[in-house]
Amino acid sequence: MLCERCKIREANIQYTEVINGVKTDHHFCIQCAKEMDFGQYSALFEGEFPFAQFLSALLGGEAPAEKVDKYQQIVCPTCGMTYQEFVDNSTFGCADCYDVFDVLIRDNIKQLQGSDCHKGKRPAYQSSGSTEETDAERKEQPGPGDGSAAGEQPQISPEEKIRALERQLKEALRLEEYETAALCRDQIRALKEGMRTDV
Amino acid sequence: MSKWYEEIDRERKNIVSSKVRLARNLKDYVFPSRLSEKDGREMVDRLCSGLSELDGHEGRSYETVNLETATDLERRAMKERRLINTAILNKKAPMAMLVSEKEDVNLVFNGADHIRIQVLTPGLHVSEAWKTASQVDDFINARFSYAFDEKYGYLTTYPTNVGTGMKASVIVHLLGKKFPSMISDMSRFGVTIRGVNGEGRENYGALYEISNQKTMGQPEWELAELVGRVAVQLDEQENQVRSMALKSHRLEREDEVYKSYGVLKYARRLNMKDAMTFLSQLMAGEADGLIQFGETCSVYRLMLGIQTASLQRASSKPLDRSELDVARAEYLRGRLPELR
Repeated sequence: MLCERCKIREANIQYTEVINGVKTDHHFCIQCAKEMDFGQYSALFEGEFPFAQFLSALLGGEAPAEKVDKYQQIVCPTCGMTYQEFVDNSTFGCADCYDVFDVLIRDNIKQLQGSDCHKGKRPAYQSSGSTEETDAERKEQPGPGDGSAAGEQPQISPEEKIRALERQLKEALRLEEYETAALCRDQIRALKEGMRTDV
Repeated sequence: MSKWYEEIDRERKNIVSSKVRLARNLKDYVFPSRLSEKDGREMVDRLCSGLSELDGHEGRSYETVNLETATDLERRAMKERRLINTAILNKKAPMAMLVSEKEDVNLVFNGADHIRIQVLTPGLHVSEAWKTASQVDDFINARFSYAFDEKYGYLTTYPTNVGTGMKASVIVHLLGKKFPSMISDMSRFGVTIRGVNGEGRENYGALYEISNQKTMGQPEWELAELVGRVAVQLDEQENQVRSMALKSHRLEREDEVYKSYGVLKYARRLNMKDAMTFLSQLMAGEADGLIQFGETCSVYRLMLGIQTASLQRASSKPLDRSELDVARAEYLRGRLPELR
């Protein structure tokens, strides 16, 4: 779906407004959302604020009873699992459930795991397409190779590049290497600029 | 070729075995609990054929086992040998397993998660087990894309596995230690401990499994080290308790060990409780040098061998309880070496 404001970019923010019991859905892209006035929520679109927290803030503002009701209606579009089923079985139905229920489960996961952020191994080979393609592509390679993920994927999308840079940025900040961090930040900015002019 | 549990590693005398398990899911399929039979079959077939080259990888040859058609008894026997877990004991769905000749590396497809990689070793080798598991993991990942999230890591069916998807565990033999009081303390170190064959006094054999409680927020090597460290601590404490007992009550300890050997070697009927209790005494006695076998013999291997499904499988007809006791005694008489 395209953003209803600029009608150019893909809409990735759904804004639901309830005024006097009348519910209206709006779909915006993140750029337009930044430019618009969402009152107290505007700040969410600045910088790298995770979108999910926006939802969480909205949901958090409601009365508890309503909240529970609303939660139960959440269904994972990929596997059809409802939040209630998740609560009952404590199992996820598919990878997308983590996204869909993110706001609802992040606290539980944090409580359960003592952390809500994975540290450690990452898949060396990860494509954005289906595994069918990668299957054929990689038949030639006998083993896991030397582990240089960058060399395996000549076609890295800007999104992935940004994500990789963001990881580097975090790592650099952790090690207090501010020069590297600044470099990463600038590269991320440049890439984001590039993506914007692309579309 | 001998199985991993037939090998003996005496570096740490009370540490029996180490294990690392990784839970992985593919990007293109919903998790097993929501997977249709058709998709499940397609996925299992794709995994089996896509990973056929694993045979020969790192010098291991693999066999494919169809878990769907495996009988209840076969499944229970595999569970006793720790190849599969309770969760899939009764599961009816397309499932398969790739298992190495030594049974030290195995992959289960479409269990609780799409792929469960498991590496077992005798003795204390958690970090090595992790490295092996990680190699197999890379091998699979080079052919199939995983469900992975930047924030949550490897996505799994259970929220208790998400992140690394790793469970590292070590089995320790703790005969001398008064145990229950320690169990609650363990969680403070981020590990859990449970009786391998039951809780409290019911845990015949005195084997305990220590494993990491959390799967997220720490890299795999750290989890492996943590579990290893706690295992070493317990091993050392157990050594202290036992050497104290040995100093003050050597005769009593020897008596217990030799009596146990005598019963195991000559009894005509042995129930599970007695067999496990005596084997446990024998294990400690051998570790402490109180008794020496004429030829190498893994007591742990005997403990696995006398489990119900394994005995049942070796027999040509179904056995009732008392026949099982006879079969158990017979098995031990045949396997227990003479003393030096």
